Amino acid sequence: MSRLSIRPRPLDIHKKLPIVKSVKDFEDDDTPTTTTTTRNSYFHRFAAENDNETHQTPSKKKLQEIPTPQFSTVETYERDYSRTFAQTANYVRGRGARAEIGEFIEYDLDNEDEDWLEEFSNERKILSPEKFETILFKLEVLDHKARERSGVITPTFGAPIPVLLHLDAAAEALQSLSIRFTVLQSIYNYWKSKRERWQKPILRHLQPPPPVNDTNPYNVFRPREKTHRLHTRRMQRRENSVQSFEKLRQVRRSLEQAKRVVEALIKREEMKRELMEYEVNLQRVQMKYKHEAQLVEDQMTLLGLQVPSKLASSDDDYMGSDDTANGTRQVGPTSVHPRYADSNFFVVHTGRMKGELKRRPVSNGWLLKRDPDDPMLFTRPLDPNQLAAAGIMQPPCAPSINGSIAPTFHGRIGRGGRIIFDRCNPLLRAPIGQESLPYVSYPRPSPPNG
Amino acid sequence: MGSMKDTKAENGAAAPASNGGGAPPSSGGGENLPRRGRSASMSSLPLEVGTRVMCRWRDQKPHPVKVIERRKIPFGGPNDYEYYVHYTEFNRRLDEWVKLEQLDLDTVETDVDEKVEDKVTSLKMTRHQKRKIDETHVEHGHEELDAASLREHEEFTKVKNIAKIELGRYEIDTWYFSPFPPEYSDSPKLFFCEFCLNFMKRKEQLQRHMRKCDLKHPPGDEIYRSGTLSMFEVDGKKNKVYGQNLCYLAKLFLDHKTLYYDVDLFLFYVLCECDDRGCHMVGYFSKEKHSEESYNLACILTLPPYQRKGYGKFLIAFSYELSKKEGKVGTPERPLSDLGLLSYRGYWTRVLLDILKKHKGNISIKELSDMTAIKPDDILSTLQTLDLIQYRKGQHVICADPKVLDRHLKAAGRGGLEVDVSKLIWTPYKEQG
Repeated sequence: MSRLSIRPRPLDIHKKLPIVKSVKDFEDDDTPTTTTTTRNSYFHRFAAENDNETHQTPSKKKLQEIPTPQFSTVETYERDYSRTFAQTANYVRGRGARAEIGEFIEYDLDNEDEDWLEEFSNERKILSPEKFETILFKLEVLDHKARERSGVITPTFGAPIPVLLHLDAAAEALQSLSIRFTVLQSIYNYWKSKRERWQKPILRHLQPPPPVNDTNPYNVFRPREKTHRLHTRRMQRRENSVQSFEKLRQVRRSLEQAKRVVEALIKREEMKRELMEYEVNLQRVQMKYKHEAQLVEDQMTLLGLQVPSKLASSDDDYMGSDDTANGTRQVGPTSVHPRYADSNFFVVHTGRMKGELKRRPVSNGWLLKRDPDDPMLFTRPLDPNQLAAAGIMQPPCAPSINGSIAPTFHGRIGRGGRIIFDRCNPLLRAPIGQESLPYVSYPRPSPPNG
Repeated sequence: MGSMKDTKAENGAAAPASNGGGAPPSSGGGENLPRRGRSASMSSLPLEVGTRVMCRWRDQKPHPVKVIERRKIPFGGPNDYEYYVHYTEFNRRLDEWVKLEQLDLDTVETDVDEKVEDKVTSLKMTRHQKRKIDETHVEHGHEELDAASLREHEEFTKVKNIAKIELGRYEIDTWYFSPFPPEYSDSPKLFFCEFCLNFMKRKEQLQRHMRKCDLKHPPGDEIYRSGTLSMFEVDGKKNKVYGQNLCYLAKLFLDHKTLYYDVDLFLFYVLCECDDRGCHMVGYFSKEKHSEESYNLACILTLPPYQRKGYGKFLIAFSYELSKKEGKVGTPERPLSDLGLLSYRGYWTRVLLDILKKHKGNISIKELSDMTAIKPDDILSTLQTLDLIQYRKGQHVICADPKVLDRHLKAAGRGGLEVDVSKLIWTPYKEQG
């Protein structure tokens, strides 16, 4: 039977499938395109092939009849089984197992027992097979109880199972059967020897099952510890063994390690954010100070006052307070330096600052008059002689593009008293000597290696 | 392999001995006889294990067989053997002991077979063949459970240990090996009590047992009764010995059944035909109390005298009725035997096609599964085997032409005995305590 050349997509069991009742349905709802006609012919052919198949089946079916071994009826059946059964009106309810009921003689004589009995009786009617059966059964049960009492019941069959029942105990327990002691003694000896040969109880339900790890296919009905089976296959793969314990410990170690890494990561990111906040605060404060300073300087130039020492002290104050307020400090109108808190100068000028900054160098010639090598407020210029005396070398100068040796750094003594060489203008972030606009720059928070 | 040489030497040694025995002397001398291909037939008695020959079967026609095992006939001559043969056309359930006169010695292919095997061993030996050779040369006397003794056991299951059983009204030829306790393995026939399924080696023992046996039906609860048909549920934990007896018995007719684990975890559903002598077991199926793989049936068996009467289909249908009551989807445990697969395919076909015939509108596989408790995989495989699922215009459709359906239904056979759900009085198994 030919297959479709295209591979159909896998069938979704949840999807509703149309039921096509006859071949005609295909034709009715199809527009006669080439592809559909081939499909239709396929379906026709399929139906036709099916016809052929069913015509063949009767003959085929006879051949297919799978032969099986034979059986016959037992002639003595009618005699062996009595007609004593009548169905109850209600459904039959099961009783307890025979072993629980205890009255039923569960043991059936085997060939060995019968042969022994025949020899033992020797034509005399000393012992009926039924009685023999009963005694053997009781011996087995008594022995089992004896083993139970001494706590040597093995859950699975490993070593030979010894006989624990003694003749005296058996005789005492079997008194009710009113059997002669000599007969009982013979039976007991026979039973004991049989038990020693078998190395296990002769009553089948008392025989322990083979151990779980036994692989002998001849041994059957092993116990299976179903209660410990886990529900999913994933769980089953993790059996309760040393190996899986080690595996799980490894997993735990890895997880703890991962946890430490992630915690460190969080800490780092928090620090970064804190640092960022400080920088932002600092920038704001600096902007504010710059503004104040210009105002002050403007005033100074107007009034001709000497203020550097004053400014320095106010700067120190400010830095101190900044350190203590560390991080939580919000820059805003409230944090405006108290000295200028009531000054409407500041308030007025903040809005116009930008324009002023741009305009100032041109309109106000003041900045141009300043020493371009000493642009920063609150800092002091370096004294080359003092540096030399302290043994501090100035960084070497790199030759600039036009050949002249221009300093590529500015030295200064920072607000904290440290010696700083600026390779870049801290405000404009352009290399020293290349600033398009030589302008007052404020010290950035000193870099750690500054 | 040195072992192959041994076989040849044995052949050579056997040839002169057979001349001395009852076989008619052939014209040739003793020395050059064994190496003359097919003409060696008469001289190579007894036949070697592995010999291929034609054998007269119960239909009185010759069929090709392979000798699996041989054994001496008690009180016979030195070369009087009977042979355990496998009919190569049939399932191994038909393997049996045959007498020499059933074999057509003109068709013996021992030398050819040996040559082929020789070639195979020298050139490329497949694992199976290697194993076969290993198997035939397992050393005896290994008491510990090593691979060799395991093979020995495997080897042992190749030959049925119990040839016949008597169960109630019937004497039944067995089909397969069953691991009865060693005390029973030497008996050609076992006598089963029809009700408690205890087995004995002698008829007198059975008759004595029948006088005292207090059972007239399986020991569990009756959960279904319709006419003379009754179903009993037996808990393997409560009735251990019965469950084990049933397993021993069933293994005689099931090839791929394992008796490896205890019966505690299973429920046995025993189907009986009842009359005034009692409830006679017809067949049964077993079911795990808690199946992780949604199996609703572990083993299923209809006893040979009751086969081809629809009981198997009844058992299958019953297992699905139980699944419906549990509100679960079920599937039989694999592998299915040839007969089992046939019954299941028939059941699935009947159930599904009956629905498709009546159903109006679209239907999904899942809905079919919900209606029938048949696992979606089984539904798909059934419909696909019947070519009822077609892929058209980018989607799957179910082709339910009534004529085609009827043909399939006819081929699937009769429905067997119906399960009358109103007569099923049953609650799903719950662990006590």
